[in-house]
Formats: sequence, structure tokens, C-alpha cells
Amino acid sequence: MFLAIRELKHSKLRYLLIGLIMVLVALLVFIISGLANGLSSDNASSIQNMKADYFVMEHDSKNKLNRSIISMEKLDEIRASSDVKAAEGLGQMMITLNKVGSSEKTDVTIFATNASGILAPKVIEGTNYDNKKQGEVVADSSLKEVGYKLGDSLKDDLSGKVFTIVGFTEKQSYSHSPVVYMNVKGWQEINPALKNQGNDSISTIAVQMDSKAEENVRESLPEDLTLISKDESLQSIPGFKEEQGTLTMMIAFLFVIAAFVLAVFFYVITLQKTNQFGVLKALGANTSFLAKSIVGQVMLLAVACIAISVALTYGVTLIMPEGMPFELSTNLVIKYSLLLLVVSVLGSLLSLYRVAKIDAIEAIGRVS
Amino acid sequence: MMGDKLLFENVSKIYGEGDNKVTALDNISLNVRAGEFVAIVGPSGSGKSTFLSIAGALLSPSKGRLLLNDEDITSLSPKKLTRVRLEKIGFVFQSSNLVPYLTVRDQLLLISELIGKRDKKTMKKADELLSHLGLGHRADHLPEALSGGERQRVAIARSLMNDPEIILADEPTASLDSKRGRDVVEMLAHEVKSRNKAAIMVTHDERMLDLCDRVVNITDGKVFG
Ligand SMILES: Nc1ncnc2c1ncn2[C@@H]1O[C@H](COP(=O)(O)OP(=O)(O)OP(=O)(O)O)[C@@H](O)[C@H]1O
Ligand SMILES: [Mg+2]
Repeated sequence: MFLAIRELKHSKLRYLLIGLIMVLVALLVFIISGLANGLSSDNASSIQNMKADYFVMEHDSKNKLNRSIISMEKLDEIRASSDVKAAEGLGQMMITLNKVGSSEKTDVTIFATNASGILAPKVIEGTNYDNKKQGEVVADSSLKEVGYKLGDSLKDDLSGKVFTIVGFTEKQSYSHSPVVYMNVKGWQEINPALKNQGNDSISTIAVQMDSKAEENVRESLPEDLTLISKDESLQSIPGFKEEQGTLTMMIAFLFVIAAFVLAVFFYVITLQKTNQFGVLKALGANTSFLAKSIVGQVMLLAVACIAISVALTYGVTLIMPEGMPFELSTNLVIKYSLLLLVVSVLGSLLSLYRVAKIDAIEAIGRVS
Repeated sequence: MMGDKLLFENVSKIYGEGDNKVTALDNISLNVRAGEFVAIVGPSGSGKSTFLSIAGALLSPSKGRLLLNDEDITSLSPKKLTRVRLEKIGFVFQSSNLVPYLTVRDQLLLISELIGKRDKKTMKKADELLSHLGLGHRADHLPEALSGGERQRVAIARSLMNDPEIILADEPTASLDSKRGRDVVEMLAHEVKSRNKAAIMVTHDERMLDLCDRVVNITDGKVFG
């Protein structure tokens, strides 16, 4: 560190410039990951917040909720298993609702479940819907932002059914659309796929259980059913995988860029200092002393830059517009900060290799 | 023989192999005693740098033995040789061998840092050495602010920082005019005498030779005188 700190102080401009690049790259990492997180919950908060660990799906559904149809009888069979802590049926479909008395149309996702079961929404305003009474729904609070309020009526054009908002819940979205909760019967009536069946069906069975029991439960399922984890079910939400994949790839590239920029910068500086390192080695500095000095510099620089960009990131979140899907957990910030640090140190390895190759003997018989 | 700070015993250095073989040093025997200041002269390509590299534990001889303060260092590992250089040898190289971003005082303290004990005592020692060499007022300056002669004086101060058995100087006056060059060599000679160190200086400059106790002439890898 003796050399590292003194050199940083001496060549301020040089290290400021590379520091600036590092700050920008780190800032981009944090902002994009905040955006990825924000978009992910904007997309799928209903599933993420659901008190379920696994979902039982119809085997041929390709894990897509809207294609899966399971007979209600299966729910009792699954609940009977000793591995399952709790289970509840869920019906799902995506429809467009008309606000009665206006030309307003809204795309929503219908979740149909037992109003007193484990999947029932947490009502923050109004009351919960009734399991028996038809036509009551609880809607995600984002509908309020587009002008809906308690008591408003919504009409499904296809079936002609009308629903009334009796309550609002929050943080419930699916495939970027607000979720509207209703009882299972109501959903069965408006679902065209069930229309002529007359069966008591649902889309999926959400299961609470230990991951250790996964194999057991899967084995015990009949052939036409399959078990997927919550994460797998997220991945099968329309657009979720693509959206997250793109952003994740951007973040990965930023890490690679950070590593390369630092690697090239320190390599060039090390090349410039070949003579100096030769003299130092002749004086009795071993490679590890010089290596520590370089890694020390990289670490100091990286830590400072990461700290600055974390501060900037939180600054940016303050001036972000209200509806911006941006969510950054402290955990993730710490994780990415450490990862950036590791990547920076990896970038200096090329220079260390170079330093190890320098021979002390070059100090003798040299004119400059 | 006791009292020899540095002893070359039938040392040869052969570079390359087969047809490319170059005998840079040919069966050299030489001793340098404490308090003795030896000059090495010789035409270009005669083996001076090779000689100094071996004396400085930077290069291993192909044949023969090398004793530093009566300790055989011929077959030490590179790691141990680095330690020998750090603790027992002082170097003064040609021009610009100072670290550009270290102040004059830090150039000296770097040696203490490398040895692994930088404290108040070494700080005091550095300041003493600097004022002794007339650089007290320059302690906080960077090399870029110093004249060529001052830089070499800093290098001499640095070479004394580890209390070496022997000081090796590689054309220390190459980048100086003759007046300043002579001042630097005088200072080196004075330090060697007053501290009873041994020193070897490779030089092209005949005018410095009267400041040395002994002049060794190397020609084609062989010693005369
Ligand atoms: N690494 C090497 N590989 C092969 N031959 C070498 C090497 N270093 C030096 N030589 C050869 O050894 C001989 C002695 O070289 P050395 O550098 O010791 O001479 P010198 O007296 O220092 O010359 P100068 O006064 O020009 O610096 C020369 O013939 C040189 O070409
Ligand atoms: Mg030479």
C-alpha cells in the first residue's frame, strides 16, 4: 500500500479518469438491476407475493396458467398428502373489461380463488368478495390510478357478465396487468374454455410445502399433472423470461466491460512502468510486494468508485418519476458491489502476470 | 581470507548455448575489502555489466563461487537472492532510477518498507542520511524537481539506507556533466571511507579514477590489474 496510495495521489488525473468510467459502469449496473427488479415485480408481483411454494399444473399446459385445467377434485387429493402443508385452487385468465357507463377498457388478469383460503388477497380498502355471491371482485390498487373506485361496475363483453369492485388489494400484477380477484364460480362462468364442460375446474393448485418433499409429491401425482416451483411458474409468465433475460444480459456485459476496461488500463500503466518495476525488483522488492501494490490500487479505486455510484444510484431514485418500475434491495446492492470488486481484481491479473515476468537484471546496464 | 566484503572465486559467465555461446566473464577472481572503493573499467561489451549483475546477486555465475561477507551466495534460490539484495547490497544505478511519484524521503523509506520495518527510527535515519548528503531541504520534493546530481545523491543515500555490506554503482555519472559527476563520486567515496563499506563502481569516465582505491580493468571478460 506504500506505493499504491502515493502513486494514486501523484497521478490524480489519470486515476480520476479511469475512476469516472468505473463509476459510470457501476451506476449503470445498479440502475439496470433496479429496473430489472422493478419490472419483474411490475410484471409478476402477484405470483412473487403469493403464499405458495409450488404449483400443480396440467401436464400438457407447458407451464402456462391459461392453458392448464385441473378438476377441482384433485385439490382434496393433494391436500390429503402428508407432505403438503396447505393447498388451494386458483383459476386464471386474461380478459379485457369495460367500465360500465364509459368507453374505458382495461386489460386485467382474473385470479379466482377461495375468498378465505391461503391465496385470498389482502384487502386494503373496502371488503373482500363473497364466495357465494356472484359479481363481486377485489381489484389491484393500480386500477385506482386509472380512475376506478369502489362500487364501479365492470363488464366482460364476451360473456356479458358484470362485476362490481367491492375492495382493493395491492402489489398484485400478472404479466404487467392488474389482477382482479373473484370467486371460482364467477371465473368458471366467464371462461370460454370451460363453458361447455360443466365441470368444476381450476387452472392450478398452489401448494405450500417443503422443498424436500418435492420428489415425493411429484411422484404421487397422476400422469396428466405436473409440479413446478414458484420460480418456474414466474419464468412461464408471458414476456417475463424475455424481459429479465435482456436486462440480465446487459448487466452481465457491464461486468465484462468493467473487467476489460480495468485490465487494459492497468496493463498499459504496468507496461509503462516496466523499468521502474525492474529497479524496484533489483533493490529487493519481490513480486508479491509489487502485486499487492497493484491489487491495492485496484481495490482502493474500485471501492471508492462503487461507493460513489451507490450514492449516485440512491440519488437518482429520488428524482425518478413516481410510476417508474424501480426496486433495488440493499442485498442486491451489496451483492453487485462485491461482484464488481471481484471483477476489478480479476482485471488486474493480467498486470500481475506482466510484473511477475519483469527481471530485476534489467535495472543494470540501462541508460534510461 | 577474512575481511573480504566481496570475493569472486574463479567466476565465469557464459550466455547462450551451442553456436550462440558468449563468454562474458572468463575465470575472474577478485576481492573487495571493507573500506575499499574499486572502479571497474573496460571497453564496451567487455563484461562490466555482467560482472556487476553477478556481484549484485541479480545474476548467477555459470562457474565459480561468490562470497558476500564470507557467506557463499552462489547457489541461493532467487527468493533468497532478493533478500540478500535487500539487506546486504546497496545499489546506485544510472540515471532515473528513482520512483517518480515518491518524495526524496519516501525513496529512502521505501527500503525500510521493503525490509518490513518502517518506523520512527528509520524515519530519523532517512532524515539523517539526507542532511548528511546535503539534501535535507529537499526531503519533501519529488525527483522531477531535482537536478541530475541531486538525484544521484538521493540514490546514494538510498543505497546506504539498509546498512549494506557493499555498494554497487553502475555508471552513476553517466547523465551528469563532469563537475557534478565528480561531486557525486567524491560523496560516494567519502561515505564508503567514513562508514567502512566496500564499493564497486563501473565507469567509463577516466577522470573519476583518482577517487578510487583500485582500478580493475576488464577486457573480453578477463581481469587486468
Ligand atoms: N543476456 C545476454 N545474452 C547473451 N549475451 C549477452 C547478454 N548480456 C550480455 N551479453 C554479452 O556479454 C558480453 C558482455 O556484456 P556486458 O553487458 O557485460 O558488457 P559491458 O562491459 O557492460 O558493455 P557496455 O560498456 O557497452 O555496457 C557482450 O558481448 C554481450 O553481448
Ligand atoms: Mg554495461
